[in-house]
Amino acid sequence: MTWQRETFKKIKQIPREEHVLPGTALCAGCGGLEALRLAAKVLGDHVVYVNAAGCFTMLAAYPYTSFKGSWLYTTMGSAPAGAQGIRDALDILIAKGRLPQGEDVKVVVLGGDGSTYDMALSATSGAMNRRLDFYYICYDNEAYGNTGMQLSPATPYAARTATSPCGLQHPAGTAQEKKDLFEIWRAHRPPYIATVAPRYPLDLEEKFARAAAFTGPKMFLALAACPTGWLYDPGTTPEVARMAVETGLWPLKEAINGVVTHTYIPKRKPVEAYLRLQGRFQHLFEPTVQTDAIRHIQERVDAYWEQAMQEQA
Amino acid sequence: MVAVRFHGRGGQGAKTASRILGTAAFMSGYVAQDCPIYGAERRGAPVAAFTRFGREPIRERGAIAHPDVIVVADATLLDDVAARVLEGADDRTVLFVNTSLSTEALRAHVPIPLQVTARDVTGIALQQLGQREAISALLGAVAARLVGLDWESLRSAIGRELEDLGLPEPVIQRNLTVAKQCYETVEPAPLHKGQGWTAGTTSIHSPAYEPPTKGTARISAAGNSVLRETGGWRTFRPVLIADKCNGCWLCFAYCPDGVIAMNRDDRPVVDYAHCKGCQICIHECPTHALVAEREQEGGVAWTAK
Repeated sequence: MTWQRETFKKIKQIPREEHVLPGTALCAGCGGLEALRLAAKVLGDHVVYVNAAGCFTMLAAYPYTSFKGSWLYTTMGSAPAGAQGIRDALDILIAKGRLPQGEDVKVVVLGGDGSTYDMALSATSGAMNRRLDFYYICYDNEAYGNTGMQLSPATPYAARTATSPCGLQHPAGTAQEKKDLFEIWRAHRPPYIATVAPRYPLDLEEKFARAAAFTGPKMFLALAACPTGWLYDPGTTPEVARMAVETGLWPLKEAINGVVTHTYIPKRKPVEAYLRLQGRFQHLFEPTVQTDAIRHIQERVDAYWEQAMQEQA
Repeated sequence: MVAVRFHGRGGQGAKTASRILGTAAFMSGYVAQDCPIYGAERRGAPVAAFTRFGREPIRERGAIAHPDVIVVADATLLDDVAARVLEGADDRTVLFVNTSLSTEALRAHVPIPLQVTARDVTGIALQQLGQREAISALLGAVAARLVGLDWESLRSAIGRELEDLGLPEPVIQRNLTVAKQCYETVEPAPLHKGQGWTAGTTSIHSPAYEPPTKGTARISAAGNSVLRETGGWRTFRPVLIADKCNGCWLCFAYCPDGVIAMNRDDRPVVDYAHCKGCQICIHECPTHALVAEREQEGGVAWTAK
């Protein structure tokens, strides 16, 4: 059975109005901003964004903000706790009649992968455990990007970062595997989890539209292709994202109350098609081809999809 | 001591250029230091980097207030007040600008009488390397020539720094070839070495305590980021060839900054005051209706308000 979009069927259904305004200091060609912009088209302006320190800090750097709604800044480890405080305050004020019902807003956490996979993981776990009614959007560019691309638990095997260079001891760069955050989240059984990639805008919009029906934690992992850190021309951000999905490295999926559905099943091009596009994987091809490392990446993707298709069948 | 200040946009290679110059000076037997400004640099945002070298140990640290040479990687920075390109410059300062304008045309554009040199390094890079924003080695080469360093030291400095960045050997070789070409397009500048600046008296201020209720960086406006224009980040602008456009909305869907709006006839309208020039729309347009045009200084270029 294939997954059907119900709300967003055609590209011209993407709302015209912009909710994240230009003039930000984010990099040209930022894949994370692409995802947030599309998400905000569904979320609207009645939102409090709770922003963990990271690249998105630059969205509302004093004295300018790109949001028409509110924005609160927190440390890297405490954005879900900040969201809890806001949600509780709203609930209490509305219950006491000190705030009209019409002024209720959505609480949306924005966190990079450094914050989400690493420092804020315990705060997120707590928020999910308490069934906090909020959205979580992780813009995943697979490293601590704002400080200069240092290794994070989201960095995939064999990527070169500032703190996992390729040397004689580790010719492939990063030695660890990317943390499977989707499954860690899923173990908490929140009502809605989805992965998105902005190169697939209708898939993204549809998932945000679906999430709106649920009360409780609504968790999003957004692929944030990063020209600055992944070392490719900013113009090819959508192409890099497309290859991440088409090779099967970034599965598009959702989990409703823990039940996983893959929303797009790629024909799976060889992983080289994705790796070759980026400077952070260039050492796998030059000066010599690191066949073992490439094969290792391919085998892991193959194993993932084999299991995923079995479970889905 | 010779003090060189580099101004560029994040991603153009100003920082690496300053490293190349520092390493080249060191290899020529000077003492040298180089450092960039640390901040939340972004691809396209103004950045600065500093190189000092001399025969005597250098005690000075930090930003260069009175540069002997200013190297500007992007002419639009001259119009950007926040970039403070000409700060601390006087008639002894040598100014190099990467621009397609001629030296004479540029001189008319610079408010104070400096020793101005203009070369189109981006043009050379596009022609020879076929890549935008890959000009660190070329800027480093120009700077090294201006301050009179020899080619051999420069050559090994470029090799070392680009290797450190993880660039493959063929790319380094191509950069070296083009760097040599840039090195030879300029002449060593007459520098007033040794006529150091006498430091003025500095008074030290102790910051006053402000309570958080008064002192937080609170923004009470909504959506005011549009007041900050980012059009100057572009090297290329997207231009629509209207009769090729099939009105598919893809450029609108993929633009990260939301600066493309679709008009009633389903044709894209680009907000050039904010378009950062990432070229996603140009890459993704299925009918090639959007093309890249290089920003030209002068009447056509975006200028800051």
